[in-house]
Amino acid sequence: MRGSGPLWLAPLRRSPLLIFILLYTVVSGGPFIWVALMSLRTTPEIFASPYSAPSPPHFEKFVDAWTKSNYSTYFWNSTIVVVSAVALLTLIGAMVAHCLARYRFRGHRLVRFVILSGMILPPQLLILSLFQILLEFRLYNTLVGLIAVYVAGHLGMTVYILEGFFAQIPQDLFDAAQMDGYSDLEIFWRIALPIGAPALFTAVTLNFIILWNEFLYAVVLLTEDDKRTLPLGIMHFMGSHQLDIGMAATGLMIAILPVILLYAFFSEMMIKGMTAGAAR
Amino acid sequence: MGEVEIHGLSKRYDGSPDLAVRGITLTVLDGEFMVLLGPSGCGKSSVLRMIAGLEPITSGTVAIDRKIVNEVPAKDRDIAMVFQSYALYPHMDVFANMAFGLRRRGVPRSDIERRVNAVAVKLGLAPYLKRKPHALSGGQRQRVALGRAIVREPKVFLFDEPLSNLDAALRVTTRNELIRQQREIGVTAIYVTHDQIEAMTMGHRICIMDRGEVVQIGPPLDVYRNPVNTFVARFLGNPPMNLMDVTVEDTPAGMSVRFGSCSISAASWPADELRRMGSKAIMGIRPEDLYEGPLREGGVAIQAATIIAVEPLGAETLIAVSIDGVADDVMVRGGRETRLRTGQSATIMLDVSAVHLFDPETTRVIARSQS
Amino acid sequence: MSGSDAEVLVKRGGASAPPALVRRLFKLLGGSGPGSAVDARRAARSTLFLFLGPALLLYLAFTVYPVLRTFWNSFHTIKPHNVEEFIGLANFHELLAKDVVFWKAVGNTAIFAIVATIADVVGGLLLALCLFSGAPLAKLLRVVWFTPVLMSYVVVGVIWVWIYDYDWGLANSILRSVGLGALERSWLGDPHTALWSVMITHVWKWLGFNMIVFLAALHALPGDVLGAAELDNCGWLAKLVYIIVPMLRPTILNLLILSFVGKMMIFDLVWIMTGGGPLWSTETVSTYVYKRAFDWNTFDLGYPSAIAVLWFLIILAFVVVLTQLLRQRDRLEF
Repeated sequence: MRGSGPLWLAPLRRSPLLIFILLYTVVSGGPFIWVALMSLRTTPEIFASPYSAPSPPHFEKFVDAWTKSNYSTYFWNSTIVVVSAVALLTLIGAMVAHCLARYRFRGHRLVRFVILSGMILPPQLLILSLFQILLEFRLYNTLVGLIAVYVAGHLGMTVYILEGFFAQIPQDLFDAAQMDGYSDLEIFWRIALPIGAPALFTAVTLNFIILWNEFLYAVVLLTEDDKRTLPLGIMHFMGSHQLDIGMAATGLMIAILPVILLYAFFSEMMIKGMTAGAAR
Repeated sequence: MGEVEIHGLSKRYDGSPDLAVRGITLTVLDGEFMVLLGPSGCGKSSVLRMIAGLEPITSGTVAIDRKIVNEVPAKDRDIAMVFQSYALYPHMDVFANMAFGLRRRGVPRSDIERRVNAVAVKLGLAPYLKRKPHALSGGQRQRVALGRAIVREPKVFLFDEPLSNLDAALRVTTRNELIRQQREIGVTAIYVTHDQIEAMTMGHRICIMDRGEVVQIGPPLDVYRNPVNTFVARFLGNPPMNLMDVTVEDTPAGMSVRFGSCSISAASWPADELRRMGSKAIMGIRPEDLYEGPLREGGVAIQAATIIAVEPLGAETLIAVSIDGVADDVMVRGGRETRLRTGQSATIMLDVSAVHLFDPETTRVIARSQS
Repeated sequence: MSGSDAEVLVKRGGASAPPALVRRLFKLLGGSGPGSAVDARRAARSTLFLFLGPALLLYLAFTVYPVLRTFWNSFHTIKPHNVEEFIGLANFHELLAKDVVFWKAVGNTAIFAIVATIADVVGGLLLALCLFSGAPLAKLLRVVWFTPVLMSYVVVGVIWVWIYDYDWGLANSILRSVGLGALERSWLGDPHTALWSVMITHVWKWLGFNMIVFLAALHALPGDVLGAAELDNCGWLAKLVYIIVPMLRPTILNLLILSFVGKMMIFDLVWIMTGGGPLWSTETVSTYVYKRAFDWNTFDLGYPSAIAVLWFLIILAFVVVLTQLLRQRDRLEF
């Protein structure tokens, strides 16, 4: 197909395609550039002329935003929650996936159905009861509670991604290991996990991005300011700085930059990770 | 009508400094079945795809019917191609697959039906017209691919290793089918393969390619009997031609070629050529031109031959022989049975008239003198 | 210790479960002997506990139980301090017969889900085709065009609120500078345009996702089939219509369903951009659920639970129907 590209695309290679590409690139990237520019300007400057470049660029705004508005707390909370949740998800998700892919047992189909069906449950079906339940378990407004909810809620997708991969590992490897006297746990740890590493990376990336940005559960289950995760923190920030657009833009940039940074280095992994659930 | 002429055709792929196809010049006559034969990576498929218009040409020209078609898009070259993977449209049934090209060209519906049905009957596909490709066997899919090409009534047929995905038995029957169809329809065909049996049986002429270049073109038996270099000599024939290092001696009695303890007269070859080569040469002799006794006219006996292996194949026996001081693994085609046993010392006969001499540096053949 | 020994232990286990369990775990970690399972694919009970236990525990507690409880709630009125009162189908009756806001929300969500899904999928396909057909810098463009997908809804929402701002937002500024100033309006403040504005933002965020999936699917198409289509007199449009799209059908269907379901449940973006206003014009079922639960003058978790249950059943029904209607009858093997 690559070879035949130029020949039948000759008509398409002309301006319309290039114009469209340019247009869409501006549309998809433009807003971020705008925010980046605004983050380095003060609000009066912005209102005076919303689209010019910062002159001079006010880098100190970033320091202000970080220190004066609890951003470090939000960032720290998000980090704790997301890292714990992803680690837990990956570990126990891999265990479930390995078990389902490798072993036959009574109730196999039931377990599989129950776990995978978690993927289609809408959040609204869960949050109201979770609200009650976390209150009852005294986990409301705690990071631990949120972590538990995140892990339970994303188990289905994780198992879905990992199971397919694990199932493809040749049974021979496991037979050989068992003949060598390895226990089931050792087999999982020494064989399934290392070989399944690519799928694990995919799952980690996907979960990381989703949970880092997660909003609905967090907004219902966390109310104290010092427990807020980053998305909530930004909303709060926006709320209190509504008219201070310059400051708000800086706050947004703080939220955007880590993702862009990671993306610059790991773009392939992140793209693959996020679309893993949909590609068949 | 369907003459294809390639002149100086070259192809360089992106990211590669070397040319995959180097200046190929070749003419396929109208109605001829030309086989492009060569090992993997020799560029034969690239040449085919450039003729089809599916691959851009780096330099050189392709002309169909005396008109240069470099700038003509594939769909307008009036060419049909059968792909190695058949390339059937998976979402359409057999009839639609064959009719698609005609529909896209605006052929009236009744004509389409007539033509498709005729070809389907000819290829034995009539019962399968409503099936989708995934419900067909490999051989059936192959025939649909062929039918799709035939129905187009093109000026040239192109085949890209169409039989490689079939099992051995099916390959033989389909091969014969293809030969029959092409001879019957009489349209120019260019066929790419790496299988020498297909080349020998199907082509009017074969064109041997190696590393992007044409090595030899000619009718199959010609190329078989008169290889132009050691590559061709060993490529055709199974088991391949035996090649041995020999010495050329300039004796008072005339030029002669010595191998081990044997010596044969080199009078049939031009003496000055032999002298120019120096004292070393490569001698080629096909397994079928070596035989067990008794010695026949024009033959020479090779003593000091030790039998290494005997492989009875039923219709013939392959005997691997080591000749002292000459070569370790000379293959001999024996008859249905042989009295020779492994480890035995034996005498093998050689038919001198079938000997080829090659220049060890250029690997080209030294032609016998015309007389 | 063979598998059958373990089974015996389990059956006997009853009263002395903890020590037996511990012993079994130790044996597990120490390595079960060869031949302990006749078939390597049969797992000992202890193995299953170990592998499935933690996950199932969390899952049952924080996913299955809540779902069941929501169903339970929907048949009750839940007042503060956990006062529950069984009212049967009363919630559903009120919902279906008398709740005007609910129906408005349903309408909005339906329009959103249908239009945005189509825009999403078609747009994604177009972008993928652009890159697939050999646009310059395709690799870089692929990365850039995917960026919105990675951003949180908060970031996307706030940026677009600013874009839609009447006075200094990008949207109106561009219109003014192009001479179409007459078209400028308060995009998020006008009940007629608010939903469409949010929709545009949502599509903007997700186009890159569909593009990537389609791109992968396009690259998986067999090159020879496309070559054969060319020889069969297909220009790029014919190839697209007769060959590419039909062969992409499974992918298209998957993305349609994925997109549709996601949009039927939309909350984050709407909440951040408009909170459901103005005048319920962007109210979706999920924002309405949230409001009824946490932002209403009377506290009752039963009613919003009923909404959630009903909506879930509706989405489920849609997915089943869509899949049945659009799925491939035969396999599309290639």
